[in-house]
Order: sequence, then structure tokens, then C-alpha cells
Amino acid sequence: MDMVLAIVVGGLYAAGLYMMMRRSIVKLIIGLGLLSHASNLLIFTLGRLMRGRPPLIAPGAEALAEPYADPLPQALILTAIVIGFGVQAFAVVLIKRVYQIVGTDDLDQMKSTDEL
Amino acid sequence: MSLILALVLTFVLAAMAPRLHGLLREASGWVLALWPLAWTIYLGGLTGRITQGDPLYIRYPWMPQLGVSLSFYVDGLGLLFGLLISGIGALVLIYSGGYLKKHRHLGRFYLFILSFMGSMLGLVLTGNLIALFVFWELTSLSSYFLIGFEHEREEARQAALQALLVTGIGGLALLAGLLLLGEAGGTLELTVLLERGEALRASPYYLPALILILVGAFTKSAQVPFHFWLPNAMEAPTPVSAYLHSATMVKAGVYLLARLSPALGGTAAWQIGVTGGGLATMVLGAIMALGPSDLKRILAYSTVSTLGALTFLLGLGTPLAVKAAMTLLLAHALYKGALFLVAGAVDHETGTRDVWKLGGLGPSMPITATAAGMAALSMAGLPPSLGFISKELLYEAQLHALHLPALLAGAGVLASALLVAVAGVVGLRPFFGHPVHRTGHLHDPPPSLWLGPLLLGGAGIALAIAPDMAASPLTTAAVSAVLGKPTVVELRLWHGLNPSLALSALTVLAGAGLYAAQPFLLDIAARARLKEWAARWGPQRGYERMLQGLNALATTQTRLLQSGFLRFYLMIIILTTIALVGSTIAIREPLSRWMGRIVDARPYELMIVVLMGLATLMAVLTSSRLAAVAALGIVGYGVALLYMLFGAPDLAMTQFAVETLTVILLVLVVYRLPRFTRLSGRPARLRDAALALAAGGMMTALMLMVLSAPLKSRLAPFFAANSLTLAKGRNVVNVILVDFRALDTLGEITVLAVAAIGVYALLKLRME
Amino acid sequence: MAWLPLLPTLILTAGALLLLLAEAFRRPGSAAGMAWGALWITALGTGATGVLATWGPLEGIYRMVLWDRGAFWLSLTILVGTGIAILFSQRYLADRGIERGEYYAFLLLAAGGMLLMAVAADLLVVFLALEWLSFPLYILAGFARPQPESEEAALKYFLLGAFASAFLVFGIALIFAGTGLTNLSDLAAWLRRPDPGAQSLVWIGGALLLVALGFKAAAVPFHLWTPDVYEGAPTPITGFMAAATKTAAVAALIRVFWTGLGPAMDLWAGPVALMAAATMLVGNGVALLQSSFKRMMAYSSIAHAGYLLMGLLGEPSLALPGVMFYLLAYSIATLGAFAVAVRMAGPNGEDQSFGAYAGVARGSPGMGAAMALFMLSLIGVPPTAGFFAKLMLFAAAWQAGWIALVLIGVITTVISAYFYLRVVVAMWMDRPEPRHLPRPDPGARLSMALSAFATLFLGVLWLMLGGLSL
Repeated sequence: MDMVLAIVVGGLYAAGLYMMMRRSIVKLIIGLGLLSHASNLLIFTLGRLMRGRPPLIAPGAEALAEPYADPLPQALILTAIVIGFGVQAFAVVLIKRVYQIVGTDDLDQMKSTDEL
Repeated sequence: MSLILALVLTFVLAAMAPRLHGLLREASGWVLALWPLAWTIYLGGLTGRITQGDPLYIRYPWMPQLGVSLSFYVDGLGLLFGLLISGIGALVLIYSGGYLKKHRHLGRFYLFILSFMGSMLGLVLTGNLIALFVFWELTSLSSYFLIGFEHEREEARQAALQALLVTGIGGLALLAGLLLLGEAGGTLELTVLLERGEALRASPYYLPALILILVGAFTKSAQVPFHFWLPNAMEAPTPVSAYLHSATMVKAGVYLLARLSPALGGTAAWQIGVTGGGLATMVLGAIMALGPSDLKRILAYSTVSTLGALTFLLGLGTPLAVKAAMTLLLAHALYKGALFLVAGAVDHETGTRDVWKLGGLGPSMPITATAAGMAALSMAGLPPSLGFISKELLYEAQLHALHLPALLAGAGVLASALLVAVAGVVGLRPFFGHPVHRTGHLHDPPPSLWLGPLLLGGAGIALAIAPDMAASPLTTAAVSAVLGKPTVVELRLWHGLNPSLALSALTVLAGAGLYAAQPFLLDIAARARLKEWAARWGPQRGYERMLQGLNALATTQTRLLQSGFLRFYLMIIILTTIALVGSTIAIREPLSRWMGRIVDARPYELMIVVLMGLATLMAVLTSSRLAAVAALGIVGYGVALLYMLFGAPDLAMTQFAVETLTVILLVLVVYRLPRFTRLSGRPARLRDAALALAAGGMMTALMLMVLSAPLKSRLAPFFAANSLTLAKGRNVVNVILVDFRALDTLGEITVLAVAAIGVYALLKLRME
Repeated sequence: MAWLPLLPTLILTAGALLLLLAEAFRRPGSAAGMAWGALWITALGTGATGVLATWGPLEGIYRMVLWDRGAFWLSLTILVGTGIAILFSQRYLADRGIERGEYYAFLLLAAGGMLLMAVAADLLVVFLALEWLSFPLYILAGFARPQPESEEAALKYFLLGAFASAFLVFGIALIFAGTGLTNLSDLAAWLRRPDPGAQSLVWIGGALLLVALGFKAAAVPFHLWTPDVYEGAPTPITGFMAAATKTAAVAALIRVFWTGLGPAMDLWAGPVALMAAATMLVGNGVALLQSSFKRMMAYSSIAHAGYLLMGLLGEPSLALPGVMFYLLAYSIATLGAFAVAVRMAGPNGEDQSFGAYAGVARGSPGMGAAMALFMLSLIGVPPTAGFFAKLMLFAAAWQAGWIALVLIGVITTVISAYFYLRVVVAMWMDRPEPRHLPRPDPGARLSMALSAFATLFLGVLWLMLGGLSL
């Protein structure tokens, strides 16, 4: 299964990057979202898949019994998901503001600092 | 210690000079001159012990980690230079007070020229390579400010910048060379380095170090082809030209060659580079000196010629040659300084420096004319002057050279004859013959303006008549220092009837002929369009070309890369990453390692994956904003399901919640955003798609590579064992978040809070 | 004890939140008080740093943070940069009617994140600190509203920054996948007994971290955002980014590449050397062409990233003092220059072209002299701090055998003299066009004076008294 997920992550990255390279700023939001999913899934897969063994200590047990899913990547992903949401929300508001003030949704028009 | 203190005080005095000038006004030059005078007396007092072979050496650790120490080393060479710098410095300060009397920035001028004096003294007295470089650059910098002193004029600014760039670039080459030298010799201390000549010359760094040091010395001492900045530097006020650009600063390169010759000299590379460069400069400089009509430019080219001669002699490196070099150094500093100051005085009184517009000034300016006459005598190499002695020695050294003595002597005679003619042009023509200028109201300048030239010119004669008073001991000490062994020099005006004397006679005759033929020669040069040719092919043009080239390169870079297109910046980041990472995978990981692994996916998992894939495609291809948002949501929910299936329920819950929030947020704002527009053309889209697929493929490959090896988590067992016992929690992920890795969580919350505040701020700013 | 390394971060963050709170209740027209508040908080943070300086190495919170000499110098540089930036911001903001408490709060928040970076001892902390310091900067870059350039700057910076963070996460994930570790000193210990299979994962992870951190530090080829963002952002923020953000990015590089990946130096030295060379050449070369001061300073900031990267290649015990001193000298000179640049903004707008600087020094020679000093320090002319900083860095790289790189550094230094001195020449020697500029306010004057004093003081005295004994 991890090989399948590797391909999925690759596909998500490709799609996300493609969207990031568009000129229309709204597409960038979708691109960011795809990239965020891709990196979370990537960390998850790299932490090794383990079907149905969440890192929960069974009632009565003192410690986690083998085998279990690695809890550390999960903690990392939780952080990443939350920060990803922050990024996403910020992006939406920022893009909206830029659109209002600059008056275009074409990124290629946004180079007023690059006049030679 | 007193030496360091004196050096520091020089800079302190420089800093205070503008204020002092404000207090002393008219007398400021005379008062400030007391300080270099004190230096002269101090250094003069050292002469006795140094001539007896007891140099002064002070060392004070400064940056011991880097091997930089504040050390000073005063031997005969340093002493000769130090006396010239301080002695001429005193006269130049007096002169400046009169010359720039009405200039409103005279105070600032003192600041610059005293800083220069301090730097130059430091340069010749220091015993450490790094300190030497520091002072070297400081002289370039003060020269920049002095050349550009009359900065209202465009030419002055251009010339200042040119001098700075040429000598500055040379200085940096010098730094590189000195560092290589330090690396080869294992120390940055000059005294130690000088004793390790053998090892240095055998080092593989020798040649690169030599070349770099020569670039530094040649740029500073205006050797061909870097000479062009010196004539242009004549934009500086005349005292500056006299002091920096003839007597002292331009000799820094010569100083360096003399200083390092015991360590670096004697090899074939040294012979070819230094002797050849010097010879070419000597001849070309003298030829070019006949061209201009501006007194100062003429003097500048003749300075170039003499600097060439000095370099040439140091390249030869025989005891005779070094003797000649040190004598010529002293003679030249005296007469050229005097002539520049005379040129300034003439300019001051008549308002022109054009030799063709000057004449017959002698009767109305007798003192100036006397000074000029004495200096010209020395420049032409006529007895009884120090110039005569040095020229005799030059010929003797050339005639006794190991290789090609006839050619060398011929070149020497040619250059010297040209200098005789030039001496006539600058020392005689303005003062004799028909008065071209209306001379009625002309008179000698005030004492401050004639004292300097008179003393310098007079010294050139006096030292030659009584050489044992000062000239012989000084050159003895200097020559001993350069050769690295005690050598006695006895300067004599009369050497007996020998080949040198014959050559001298020939020189004077030829010089007189050249002087008379100058208008004719200029005419030929004009017909041959020499000037145009030089402007087109000369090194000055090369300098301009280089500046243009740099600009063009920068423009191209900006057009190509700095386009302002965001996606272009992204592409560069992606491409670089692919190059960095892809190459590693290709080099280090054989494909076979991660091929052929079993696919153990279950059907329902595959269904989720296929659904995610379709949703991703839809998100990319759709032209409806809402559809894209929905597709993004489907991908997110798919990810959450995968978390659920593979043992991460906490992640799944969080993902569901966050995904739902995101979709709601996007749906809320999506209609306030502009529509999806297809802005790029088909080729651009294909290009982006190819790049994106390559990056995605790289990610997949990378993951497969990681997955081929088992993960040995070093932390999981710790968490597994201690979650309950230490932190009293059964959900290990939760325990990690709130206990073991609470800092992460704190940080995460803060980041989220900052993002939230940011969103709030953006919204609030909009509403106002 | 465990929380002590976080003390400066916590002070600044708490202070920022207090400012936000105060902003909500503040009377209109009392915005200057916010600047004072921010200044006091920065001073308090500096005080805490000073107190901590006397402590030895101090690990905290499951070894995720570490206080050591390096942390002290980095924190000090960041705090000094923040303080000076606050000083010269106040009038600038007031003139354009955008003075509000959020500005200072965001500045402090960003500084808090940077301070966290200075004590980071774990890859995850590096990631968090990077996000922490970035968000406030995204907002600050767009603070000069409603100017389109400022908005564009914010958007570009944000999008590329978010993108670079993704690389960081990816790199961390790869290193974790290869070693099972995120703690940097554990990583170094792990690398000392190599396991060839997973080492290439660490290498690739390191490469991705290099991309992400190279982006923040503005190293070529990840520098392309810099000129756009620097030009678009409000001038005081540009100064703050050039100084403090650079420090934080270099802090991250030091932590990741020395503390963590140090034992694998021969693996990453090649790419870093290439980046350093390209950064020095491009930064200095392109700066030549610029006609605007801010843009020139953007390329200057890129160029100095190159020198700092070169320092990273030295032997850490020798190069660390060099890098620290360089950061301090560079930050101070850059902030001083921006304090002068801020003054070019009047109530009627801002002109940062070189033409606008013509003859400014005639009216205010003190400012001209200060600017000359800053430019000389940025070139590296003795006896300014910049010279000794460059000398230490070059010497460190030299002793590590990077001779060609040092020579490139030396050559680009000459090139840099040309464009830095252009400003000085314009200020002192060009004829001014008649135009009215306000006198610099006390805050800007104070920051100029402080920077000028520090540039000289650091250069002459400190090193005379035996150098930095880090």
C-alpha cells in the first residue's frame, strides 16, 4: 500500500505545483491546499503504515504493545495540519485583499517593483 | 611604543584638523606642518642606529587567533620612505595652506591629507602583511577623496573613481597575494617571512602569489598597462599631485617590491615580470610625457616613466641596480615634488598650466624660477644634482646587467633623453624666452607657496654636493635593507671618465635635440592619429569596456531572472531542488533497490485512492471555482480516511474538522473572488505540467527509496513505554503533544494565533 | 530551569500580546506610546538575554531548546535589530497614517520567533520558529497600504514562503525517516557512526533544508523574491528583514548544518560552496545596476548571505565567532543605512532613487558621515566593524581550504565598493535638486547615532582588546 500512496503523494505534489504556477491568483489557493495534503500524507507514509493499530495504550496495560503505528509522525502531522489551515485561511484573506487593491487577478501583472 | 602612539596621534590630528583650521585660519598650514616636522625629527633620530644595522622592531599581539599582530619594523627602507613622507608632508601642508587659502573646505582637505599621511607612514613602517594591506587600502581611499576634492567637477569625480577602482582592485589582488604568501610562509609577520625566501620560492603558491602581488604593486605604482589613472588623477589639487601622485603614494608599489624582493626576488618569473613591466613603463611613460600641454599631465607621465625605471631596477635586483633605485627614489621625490609645487604656483599666479601659453615668467617670479631651475636640473640628470648621480648609477646598473645590457642601456638612454626634453618643457620654457602671458602684474607667490619648491629643489642639489651628509647614509641603510645584507653606498658626483658618463653626455645632446624638435614630433603624432588610436585601443578604453561589460551582465541577469513573475521564481526553486535531489538519487541509489516490491493494497483502500486521484484531476482541470473547492475537499476527506485506516484516529478527526472548516471558508469567500481565468497559453501550460510532473515523480521516487528500508524510530519505544507511567495518558499521540513535545504545541498554537491575528489585521485594515 | 532558554522569546511574545490588548483600548492619537511600549519590551528581552549570558550551556524541555554562547550572540543581534527598527519606524508610520499598535506587536512577534530560532536544538523547533517568524513578516510586508507594491510584496513573500516551508517539512520528514531522530545533537551523534544506506536520506533531507533556509536567507538561486519584497515593503520593515530575518535564517543554518549535520560536512560542503559563490557573484554583480537605494540594499543583503554561507564552510570553532561577528556588524550597518533611508520618506511620499540622495549630506553632514560609515562597513573597509567581520570569515574559510571561494569573496568585495560608495558620493558630492525633506526625528537620529557608534566601536575597540572570545 505504501507504494500506492507514494504515487498518490507524487500526483498530489504535481497537481499542487502545477496550480501554484498558474497566473490566476485564485488557483493558488487550491494549489496550496493540495500541497498541504501532499506533505501531510508524505510524512504519514514515511512514518510507515500500520493497519488498525493506533498508538493507544490498552486499558490495563502499562505500555504500548507491539506492533503499533509510530506516534511521533502523527504528532508532527497534527502540527502540520493545524499550521496548514492557518496558511490556507491567511492565503484566502490575503489574496482577496490583493485582488481588491491591485485590481487584477493576473500574477503576471503584479510586478510593479520590477520596472527596469 | 612611541611609534604606535605617534601614528595614532596622526589620525587624531587628522580628525581634529577641520576644527583646528577653524581656530587658526591663515596660520593653519604652518601649525599643522609642525607635526610631520616632528615625525621627520623623530625618524631622523633613528637614522644612527638603523645605519648601524639595528632596525627597530615592535610587536604587539592584536588578533592572535588570526595571527594578526600590530607590529612595526623600521629598517633602512622604511626609514627612507618615512623621511620622505614626513618631510615632504610638512612642506606640502604649508603649501596647501597658501594654495587653497580661499577654498571653503580647506579644513576637510587637511583631514584627508593628514589621514593619508598617517596611512602612508603606517604602510611603510608596519611589519605585518594584513596591517600593510589595511594601510594600503586606506591610502587608496584617502587618495579617492583627495582627487575628488573639487567634486563639483564631473572630471574630478570620474578621475577619483577611476583611481579608486584601479588601485582598489589592485589592492584586493594584493590582499589575495599576501594571503597566499602568508599561507606559503606560514606567517604574516614580515620579518619572519623575509628570512624564509627559499621556502617561499619553492612553494606551489609562489607563482600565483607573485602575480597577484605584482598586480597590486603595478596598479598602485601606475605601471603599464595600469598607468592611465595617474594622469587623470591630476584633477586633484596640486599639493595632492605633488605629495601623493609623485613623491609618496605611487611609490607604495615600488616600496612593496623592494620590501619583498629578498623573499620573492631573483626567480625567472620575477625577472621577467618586474623588469619587463618596469622597462616598458619607463620608455612608454617618457614618450607619452612629450604629448600633453598641461604642465601637470606632463609631470604625471614623466612620473610614470620614473616609476617604471624604479620597478625595472628592482627587477634586476643586483646590488648596483638596488643602489641606483634607492638613489633615484630619493632624487625623484625631491625634484618631482618641487616641480609639481612650482606648477601649482605658476597656475596660482597666471591662471593657466598650458605650457604653450606660458613663457618669460623668470624675471617677474625669480624665486619660483630658481626652484624650478634646480629641480629641472635634477630631472634632466645634469650635474651637480642628485638626479645626475642616480642616472649615472642607472646606466651603470644597465651596463652591468646579466642579460641584454646593450638593449637595456639603449632603453635607458632613450627614456632619460626624453626626460631631459620634458625637464626643458616644464622647467625652462615657462620661465625663459618671450613672455607669452601679460607679465606686468605678475610676482612671486607668498612664502608658503615658494618655500616648499625651493627647499625641495635645493635639497636635490645640496645632497649631491655633500652626499656624505645625508644621502649616502640613507641610501646605505635602504640598500642594505633591500638586499638583506649590509652594503655600503658612497654616492659621488664624479665617477671618473667611464661609459656611464659618455652615455650621459649622449643623453643630454639627444634630449636637447628632442626638446627642440618637440613641435615637429607632435605634428607627426597628430598626423598619425596617435591620440585617436590610443583612445580606441589603450588601456583606458579597456577600463571603460570593463565597466560597460559589468553593467551589461547585470542587466541581462535582471531581464532573464529577476522578471517579477512569481511562477518563474517558483520554477527556479523547483528546478534547483530537482537538480540537487534528483542527482543524489541517481548517483547514490540504484533503481533495483526499490523496484519490485509487493503491492499489498486492499480493494477499499484502492477505491479511496482512485477517488482522490480523480478529485485531484478535477481540481486542476475544472474551470469552476466551486468544483475546485469541492474537489479539494474530497481529497482532504480521502486523506482523513487513510489516516483512519492506518492507525491514526486523532489525525483523522483533526483532518475532518479542518477540512470541513476549510471548505466552508472557501465556499463563503469563493464568490467574492475573481473567476478562474485561463491566462497562460497552451505551451506555457504544457511546460508547467511537465515541470510539475517531474517534481511529483521525484517525490514518488524519493518516497519509494525511503520506504525500501525499515524505519528504526529511536523515539517511539520511549513514548510507548513511558506515556502512561510518566505522563498518565493512554493516547500516546496526545501525550506527545501535551507533554513530551509541549513546546511544539505551544509553537503551533502561537503560529495559528499569529495567523489569526494576521487575518484579523488584514480584515480590519480593509474596513478602515 | 527547563524554560529558561525560552525566556527572551516568551517576554517578546507576551509583550506583543499585551500591545495587541492595549491597541484594542487605546485612545486615538496615542500611537507613539505603543512604540515606547515595544521598545521597553525589547529592552526587557535584551536584559533577560544579558542575564542568561552568564549561564553556561542550558538545555531545556526534552532537549528541544539549547542556550549557549551562540544563542546569546544571535539573540543579542536580533534584539538590537528589533530595537533599532522600532526606533526608526515611529515617524515613518505616523507620516503615512499607518501607525497602529499591531505593527509593533507583529514586529515583536516576529522577533520572538527569531529568538526561538536562536535557541532551537530540534528540527521541529526550527520548523515552528520559521513559521512563527514568517507570518508576522508576511503581514508587515503588506503594511504600507494601500499601495499595490506593498500588497504584491506581501503576496509574493507569503506564497514563496509557504512553499519553502513545505520543503522544510519535507526535509525534516526525510531525515526523520532515515534516522528516526529530530534532535540535532542526537543527529550529529548518529552521523558519526555512519550507516551508508540511510545516509543518503539525510543528505537529501539536508538538501531540502538547504533550499528552505536558503530561501529565508536569500541565497542564490532562491533569492529572487528579495528585491521585489524589499522594495515593496515599508522601508523600516525592509531594514528589519534585511538584518533580523537574515540573522534568524543564518541561526537556522548554523543549528541545522553545524549542530546537526556537522559530521557530514563533506556531503553538504560542495553545494553550499556553490551557493555561496553564486550568491556573492550575483548579489554584488546585480547590485551594480540598481538605481534605487532599497533595491540596491536588497542585492546587498543577498550578497552578504553569500559571505555568511562561506563562513558556514569554515571549521565551526573558528568560524562561529566570525559568523556571529559578521551578523552583528552587518545588521548594525544595514539598520543604520535604513535609518537614513527612512528619512527619505516625507509626508508626500518616498523617493529611494539615488537621485533623491543627491547632496543630502550638505544639509545634514552628520547623517552623511553616518551613511558613509555604514557603507564602508558593508564594503569591509578598515577600521569599521565590517572589515574585521569579513577578515574573520575569510580567514576561517581560508583555513578550511576554500581558497578559491575566499578569492571570489575578495573580488566581489571590490565590486561592492563601487555601488556602496555611489550612495556616499551622491550624498556628499552631487548637486541637490531643491526639495524639502523633514529633519530626521529623534528616533531615527538616535538609531543612526547608535549604529554609527557601534560600527566604529566594534571595529576598533573590541578587536583591539583581544577580539571576540566566544
